[in-house]
Amino acid sequence: MNAADTVLLAYSGVDVGYYGEPIVRGADLRVHAGEVVGLVGPNGAGKSTLLRAVTGDAELLRGSLSIAGTDVRTLAPIERARLVGVVPQLVTAAFALSAREFVAMGRHAHVARFSAASEHDRAVVDEALELTDTARLAEKPTDELSGGDLQRLALAQALAQEPRVLLLDEPVSHLDLNHRLQILDLVRRLANERSVGVLAVFHDLELAARYADRISIVAGGGVGPADTPELVITAESLRDVFGVRAVVGTDAVTGAVSVTAVLREGAVASQHRGRVLVIGGSGAAAPLLRRLVLGGWQVSAGALNAGDADQVLADALGIDYVLIPPFAPMDDAAAVRVAELAAGADVVVVCEVPFGHGNVANLVAAASAAATGTPVVLVGDIAGRDFTGGTALDLWEQTVQAGAVSGIHGDAVEEALPGGTRPGRV
Amino acid sequence: MHPRPALVVAALAIALPLAMVAGIALGAVPVAASDVAAALGRAVRGVSGGLADTLVVQVRMPRVVLAALVGASLAGAGTLYQALFRNPLADPYILGVSSGAGLGAMAAIVATAGATAARFTAVPLAAFAGATLTMLLVVRLASHRGRLDATSLLLAGVAVSYTLAAVTSFLMVVARQQMAAIVYWMMGGLSAASWPYVALVAPMFVAGIAAPLFSTRELNLMLLGDERAGHLGLSVERFKLVMLAAASLLTAAAVSVAGLIGFVGLMVPHMVRIVLGPDHRWLLPASLLGGAIALVLADLAARIVIAPIEIPVGIVTAVLGGPFFIWLLVRGRAR
Repeated sequence: MNAADTVLLAYSGVDVGYYGEPIVRGADLRVHAGEVVGLVGPNGAGKSTLLRAVTGDAELLRGSLSIAGTDVRTLAPIERARLVGVVPQLVTAAFALSAREFVAMGRHAHVARFSAASEHDRAVVDEALELTDTARLAEKPTDELSGGDLQRLALAQALAQEPRVLLLDEPVSHLDLNHRLQILDLVRRLANERSVGVLAVFHDLELAARYADRISIVAGGGVGPADTPELVITAESLRDVFGVRAVVGTDAVTGAVSVTAVLREGAVASQHRGRVLVIGGSGAAAPLLRRLVLGGWQVSAGALNAGDADQVLADALGIDYVLIPPFAPMDDAAAVRVAELAAGADVVVVCEVPFGHGNVANLVAAASAAATGTPVVLVGDIAGRDFTGGTALDLWEQTVQAGAVSGIHGDAVEEALPGGTRPGRV
Repeated sequence: MHPRPALVVAALAIALPLAMVAGIALGAVPVAASDVAAALGRAVRGVSGGLADTLVVQVRMPRVVLAALVGASLAGAGTLYQALFRNPLADPYILGVSSGAGLGAMAAIVATAGATAARFTAVPLAAFAGATLTMLLVVRLASHRGRLDATSLLLAGVAVSYTLAAVTSFLMVVARQQMAAIVYWMMGGLSAASWPYVALVAPMFVAGIAAPLFSTRELNLMLLGDERAGHLGLSVERFKLVMLAAASLLTAAAVSVAGLIGFVGLMVPHMVRIVLGPDHRWLLPASLLGGAIALVLADLAARIVIAPIEIPVGIVTAVLGGPFFIWLLVRGRAR
């Protein structure tokens, strides 16, 4: 049998909680040898509780949970400690044992009661210190070490157990960037090279996406199916699970899922400020779109090319906008759609975008809105932005003559809106 | 870093017999160290000696041996409580276990009025029962949903201790005819020491300390907290039960022969930990030796400071222990 086919940790219909009260219900999850499975989800959803079911620190109320094929209920703590290593969220060591002695405690389950540590035990401890880059700390008392050092020593201690399964409960939350990556690189290596099965709770979605083979969302008392990060971490899931509207993309360098939180659902102003159409493109409208949504405006956006920064954000914000294909000019249908949005809006804002033949129809819509008495705000100046040979300039001037505010930037834009006030930092 | 622990333990192991010889030699009637050796030699060979021999072999020796056993028991119990509760302030006294043992012993004294032979075995048994029940009660009171809060533990210990002390006083008033025996016992002292008492306490001490001495690695795991100790393979609940029973047995051994003697169980493990660090492989044996030395010397002081009047040894341990403890705390903070 291939190592990767070995199921090291299997939750089947597991309810787990405390004092008879389940926190998580019906968990089905498998961790195979050589695999890193990430658990993400809001605070208090039961991610840690799920790990704690393995170690008996939380109650297994229903279903079955097995470690390397053995029912966890039949495993004595000492047998379990030979299979499972745990790295806790916060490591405290308020005593003066040396780092080496601290790590050597991980050998407890392997050393017989009346015998001393063997050559092999010492070698395992040395290796654990080397792997976690803590060998130089070996003789230091643990109560003089930093939280980051302790966290790495806790991993070393778990490695000294020679576990087949590693449980990590937000193992890098207290570490600086360098050590974060170092620890997770090491965890990845242990999975790849030694076929350790890893179940890890992640706080940071991007780190989860970067290091986990599969991710499962723990939320609302349940455990979602574990699947690849691209399938699990989406704008929809983030909105449903975390109540955050986010732009989910692909990191240009690592190729992993990238997440940019745009706004919290709860942060959107409760008052309704009216409907605003924003003409943008190429990211010129992005900051304004976000702030208007936060300010309680019902925002729509003029024709945006698919893949354009403004379009990605509009998607994440869940606003109404006119979509046109990548790099394509607006067709008649798009122009009509934008004109309709302009007609239905209480105010139209034209951002500082260059106008060419492909998008000048947006400006046409703004000009006609101004002509019918709809307030229009023109951000900046048209100078240097007209690539239509004069059409855009004419439309701009018509709009100004019809009463549009122009030549303003930044906060002044929001102040110029009907009922507008100077916004704070949002 | 700490001094080589083996050296410290060796030094203590040499200091204990020296302290014991001093304890035998000094007193209201001083005996030369050479005479002590001679008397011991005669006793071993079964040759009868004079009055001085009786003083050495029948009065001072059992007293010194008993002091060593009681001191080691208290320090051992303190070390265990401090490890299990991860609380440097835990000791048999503060947790109320001594009071529990005391009440048990007292009840036995009252119940066995007139039956001296029965009293001899009933007192330690009742002390053990009292210590164990009190420990369970205090832990129960201090636990909330399976978690044992350190502050609650001390508060519960103190509260239970006061309550038990009140019950003890009540018993004393009720059992007037036994009052002399009770008061005598309660003062905390070793003046009644004799070989039969040594024969009573020694097995309790051995039984109580055996399991902890073979569990120093597990005691070290407890430093990490119950949960981590469990992750590393310790059956935490079972281990705690065994260790608490051992600590209760040690407390009962001390209390049933020497009454209530404070500070040794708190201070000695603490001092040793400051010198040696938290590794129980050294901490536990060093605490046992340190406790024995401390009480042998304290009892010696109790006998000779205002000789021929004897001070209860509990007063000596408090007077010496309190300030020393404060000095250690201040020094620890300054570092």
